[in-house]
Amino acid sequence: MLDRPPELPALSRTRRLNIYRVIRSGLGALLVAYVAWRLYEVLVVKAEYGPDTWLRFAISGLVLGSVYSLIAIGYTLVYGILRMINFAHGDVMMLGAFGGYFVLEALSAIPVASEVNPPLTFLNAHPILAVILAFACGMSIAALSGFFLERIVYHPLRRAPRLAPLIGAIGASVFLENAAQLLFGPQRRDYNNPFLLLRGAGWLIPVGTGVRLTYTGVLTFVLSLILMLGLYLLVYHTRLGCAMRAVAEDKQTAALMGIDVDHVISLTFVISGALAGAAGVMWGLHNGLVYYLIGFVPGLKAFTAAVLGGIGNVPGTLFGGLLLGTIESVGPAALGIDFQLKDVIAFLILILVLLFRPAGLLGEVSTEETL
Amino acid sequence: MKTRSWLDLLLMLVVTLAACTSGNVPEVCSRDKFGCAVIEPDTTIKIGMGGPMTGGSANFGIDISQGAQIAIADAGEFQGFRFELVAEDDEGTPEGGAAVANRFVMDKSIVAVAGHIMSGPTDAAMPIYEKAGIPMMSPAATNIELTKKGSAVFNRVAFTDAMQARFAAEYLYHKLGIRDLALIHDSTAYGSGIAEEVRKDFEALGGKIVGFEAITRGEADYSAPLVKIAAAKPQALYFGGSVQEGVILVNQMKITGLEGVIFFGDDGTFGSDFLTRTGVNGEGAYSTSFTLPESDRKTRFDAAYEKTYGIPPGKLSPFTWNGYDSTAPLILAIKSVAIIGGDGKLYIPRGALVTSVRNTRDYQGVTGTITCSPVGECSAAQPTFYVIQGGKWVEAPK
Repeated sequence: MLDRPPELPALSRTRRLNIYRVIRSGLGALLVAYVAWRLYEVLVVKAEYGPDTWLRFAISGLVLGSVYSLIAIGYTLVYGILRMINFAHGDVMMLGAFGGYFVLEALSAIPVASEVNPPLTFLNAHPILAVILAFACGMSIAALSGFFLERIVYHPLRRAPRLAPLIGAIGASVFLENAAQLLFGPQRRDYNNPFLLLRGAGWLIPVGTGVRLTYTGVLTFVLSLILMLGLYLLVYHTRLGCAMRAVAEDKQTAALMGIDVDHVISLTFVISGALAGAAGVMWGLHNGLVYYLIGFVPGLKAFTAAVLGGIGNVPGTLFGGLLLGTIESVGPAALGIDFQLKDVIAFLILILVLLFRPAGLLGEVSTEETL
Repeated sequence: MKTRSWLDLLLMLVVTLAACTSGNVPEVCSRDKFGCAVIEPDTTIKIGMGGPMTGGSANFGIDISQGAQIAIADAGEFQGFRFELVAEDDEGTPEGGAAVANRFVMDKSIVAVAGHIMSGPTDAAMPIYEKAGIPMMSPAATNIELTKKGSAVFNRVAFTDAMQARFAAEYLYHKLGIRDLALIHDSTAYGSGIAEEVRKDFEALGGKIVGFEAITRGEADYSAPLVKIAAAKPQALYFGGSVQEGVILVNQMKITGLEGVIFFGDDGTFGSDFLTRTGVNGEGAYSTSFTLPESDRKTRFDAAYEKTYGIPPGKLSPFTWNGYDSTAPLILAIKSVAIIGGDGKLYIPRGALVTSVRNTRDYQGVTGTITCSPVGECSAAQPTFYVIQGGKWVEAPK
């Protein structure tokens, strides 16, 4: 018979809990007071920003947030299935961005017979097809990278203690970044957008001095929503999705039920890689800049977004990504602080979420994580 | 006095004996504070250069090292020894600059450094060269603080940011009629330095600074600080920084509400890279480069550069001519202090070389007459402003 552990005296247990709670609540209250004061200062006292400025902040925040959401979905899917944070996911996005870059470069070098002089390139003669090809290539390369990442790094470490695949992930991330630097060179490359989708071109919203809603921004936002909706339908309304959820809930029982666990896990990495690849191509089209390190910080921010929304929770991740993007964009202006502190705000949110609500804003506070 | 003359005699005897046995090492080497660099026969006299050979400002590093190569070719042979340029990549960061400096100091055949190119790495490398007694002649490090540190080895042929900022502020205020100026810089020694100088000069002229923002290098999206600046409705935006970030800023100006605002960049944004990467968005953007007086030497340099590299000088960066004029005075100084030993080796006393470089006087370079001030300012040129018109850099009206 196991002895019951001795009961701690009720008084000291309460006292210990109280001090921890007091400190936590105190810090939280201080932070809330500071934020409220800064918001009051900027919005009421100084009121130097017009509605057009806030709208611009909001738009760039939403576009950024949708990219974060797409990458964060990858984190969520992998965490749900393997209880593991795939830190190399940001670099999978970078590889997807390069894939799209090379396709667009290749297409812009193919001249097409036309009446216009100088002759149009394939890129500008068939822009929609070119962009679709770029996405297809970017997503395929990223999906393949995800697949091989799982096969080479995570599969052998499946039975190892939790720390091993985590360190393996960080190692894979460093490897991918440096491999990209060696393969593609350290120079910054610019995306070759077709004329239809030139960066900076867009609709003019008649607010204030005119707010520009760029085509690339709208493409990013809408396409992200479509992809995430597609994923949601996949996970909740198909047999494969059912299998994924089953593996996430209990691997062994799922295997007993006849689900090929390895196959499902590989497919999860392929899907999350494809989404990250799409995010990479969108990043390239909208921001224009690709080089070997573009995946590093967005990967970390996407992880924050996933945690913020509730890791393991698909709609939560979408919400978390958009929220984080908006806070990053609007936050420094609203709080009246330096814009270089936006990363500080983003990671402070990560710490706060882990301290106060580790399950995330939309996550269920339960012991079992489900997809 | 008597003891000293006996000691002198003893010293001479010892040195003569040593010379007879060790191959005629010149006596100046033992007296020199940093000793002598010994160049073996059939090896080259090396001049180092640290600059951004890769990354966002790679064109600057490549351009300036090519200009320096022309100087090496023009130097020919000296006492049977040839010169060689050792150009290494410092990535434009202080850490890279220190790493390259440490490597150069370890190589005993490197006697001088035509560098570094950017202000941050130059600042980090200076103390390392100071300790080793290696003279520097920077073609493009423009930050004003560099010559205020009391260094004996640092010299430069680039104009200072103080001069560039004064010219820029005056041009903005008087020529372009700007009264509301916003500034943005990339948080490096160079970018923040020049932005501060322009701010001070512009306010001194009577203009109003409506925004002053800092950005971090290496990011892809600067729309948030640009939106904030747009809310203050500036007439012009001055940028202290390099091509990389300048290109992103110009491309994002229209979508952040800065349409119609003039972009004014410093010398770090000039070049063909800026043109190609801003495309249509770059129309009307200003940048800073040089005026160079026409001379026979410049014409000959231009022809030699175009013949060797296939592009005209000044296209990749504004400092091609500085590449030549930073290396040639070093070569001249080396030729004036180097002694050929009886054993056929070339002895270059390092301390004497440092002093000789600092004392460069009336050297007729391709940028003008180079004379170094007591703190190491040797510049002959003044900044000129260029504007993008029709997809090309055109000299802005004076």
